[in-house]
Amino acid sequence: MEDNGDVTMTAEDDGQEEEEVTAQSVLLAIEEAWLNEKFAPEILPHRSDLVDCMLQQITHMEENMKRLDKEDLRLMIHRMELDRIKYVITNYLRARLEKIEKYTIHILSQEATRSSEECYLTVAELQFAKEFLANIEMLFKTIALQHMPGNFQTFEVDTLTVKPNLQAYVFLRANDRINGIIVPGSMDEEIDLEPGSQHIIQYSAVADLVKSGAVKLI
Amino acid sequence: MYGRKGFKLVSELDVYSDILPFNEALIKEVLQEMQSLYDANVANSNAIRNDNNMALLPSVQLRHIALKRNKRCILAYIYNRMRKLKELRWELGSILPPEINTNLINAEVQWFQSYNKSLAKYMRSLGEDHGFNLTTNMVPPKTLYVEVKCVEDFGKLELDDGQVILLKKNTYHLLPRSVCEPLIRQGILEHKRISRVNINSV
Amino acid sequence: MDPCEVEFLSEKELVSIVPNFSFDTIHLISGSVGPFRAGLPVKVPIWLAVNLKQQQKCRIINQDWMDADSLNEAKEEEKLSKLFTKMPSNHYMEEAQLLLNVASDDISDADRIKTAIKDIWDIRMSKLRTSIDAFLKSEGLHAKLDHLTAMEINSVRPLLPHALDQMLRIQTGGRATQSHYSGTSQ
Repeated sequence: MEDNGDVTMTAEDDGQEEEEVTAQSVLLAIEEAWLNEKFAPEILPHRSDLVDCMLQQITHMEENMKRLDKEDLRLMIHRMELDRIKYVITNYLRARLEKIEKYTIHILSQEATRSSEECYLTVAELQFAKEFLANIEMLFKTIALQHMPGNFQTFEVDTLTVKPNLQAYVFLRANDRINGIIVPGSMDEEIDLEPGSQHIIQYSAVADLVKSGAVKLI
Repeated sequence: MYGRKGFKLVSELDVYSDILPFNEALIKEVLQEMQSLYDANVANSNAIRNDNNMALLPSVQLRHIALKRNKRCILAYIYNRMRKLKELRWELGSILPPEINTNLINAEVQWFQSYNKSLAKYMRSLGEDHGFNLTTNMVPPKTLYVEVKCVEDFGKLELDDGQVILLKKNTYHLLPRSVCEPLIRQGILEHKRISRVNINSV
Repeated sequence: MDPCEVEFLSEKELVSIVPNFSFDTIHLISGSVGPFRAGLPVKVPIWLAVNLKQQQKCRIINQDWMDADSLNEAKEEEKLSKLFTKMPSNHYMEEAQLLLNVASDDISDADRIKTAIKDIWDIRMSKLRTSIDAFLKSEGLHAKLDHLTAMEINSVRPLLPHALDQMLRIQTGGRATQSHYSGTSQ
């Protein structure tokens, strides 16, 4: 079996420089993306780069495993690790789908304001969101709306929109040193975060920091 | 009292955790109430406009609120049933058991099929070629193998390595965890216990 | 977050095992493990250690910090300190449970270790409940949680943010009411 040492690949960093990353670092990044997505009230920018890369790793590994003898110890060990990785990927993507299903109208309207470089949803997620909304509209119309009098028949997008609560409190750990976060609700109280420190604060105060990777949600 | 039937609809949602038979009769009644409220309001609005009878205004406002509330109750009823259906897709798979299907109205069956299609398309789009199944690997993996008891006749089950297992009611098996997960969710298998296993003896 | 998910994360921590087999280095996606030489200790992630142990392919060595005497010392320190002391692992609770469940025959003094860890946990959780109480009463908007471990944070996760949300709602609701009825006191 061609065990190729610590797997290295090249990945594009913002489409500018090519950065060598290891499979290990991609895995760590996906785990962080999973937890961020799990704890953030709003949907975060997608990390399909990480997902695609890791799925490729998994396929590659599974190909290699086919060539192993059934009794080979590595078979069991690789299988266990792959199960763990699949679990993380599955739950990362499911957390996103759940938000898409919960905040469909809101997410679609926000996404419409973003350019294709800044988009939060993948092409496939966007399609899923649109179909989800269309299916709900069809459901409402068929059973109820078309039988309602006058302009009660409308699918009132505004009334039906559910928005995430960005004021919700989150737990975070600072990855970098961050100065000057304004504590919401205070009289302009400012705090600094030491790298590695842990805090609880309103999500809205740190949303950008989560998206930039300066802090991670725990 | 306006809105009482709408409230009844919504209360059906709270009490039970399974999807009850779609209450077509009650929906019809709420819709009928909406129609008569609306008709009354049209008549009153005309009277207000033509005869300048402002005394009717509070009634119109009240009926309007009742109309909005009824609409809200109906949509909440439909929406929450849809949410339960959605959960069932993840729990039981793409084919619903007959006892649940009989409780659905046709539009809900259609919705379920559309959701299925949409989800399948999304999952197929993941990764390079064959997609990625998001309905397995939903719980943290513990051991590779689990001891299970078969509680419903299922028939033949083929494992990844080609082995064929016969799942007959009241038989016990040691199977790969990923194979068991969906079958446990569907109620075909039951955990015996997570065992300490010497793989080499299997 | 489900406790089993916190446990999942803790299973990445490394532990020393002594395998009864030999094998070359295995290149996992999450890093390399091995080489395995029968009788020689090697560090592996806990998820692997537990599975190998369950298949009777190794014995597990205590983590350095899983020593009854030093844990009891840590317990005393925790009692005396008003703040939370730094724990030897961000996953001390889960690691102890995982390893003691599967390898209590390998780990000397397992019972004393179990008791010490439970005592530490109880002291810290009680401190946590008190600090949260104080935090809520003082209408805190932000708090530092250094040295709290993953499982501890998770145990207050359902309660704390929600309670703060409610407080925020009450506060902002109060302010809105105030501005509406200007002239009323407080």
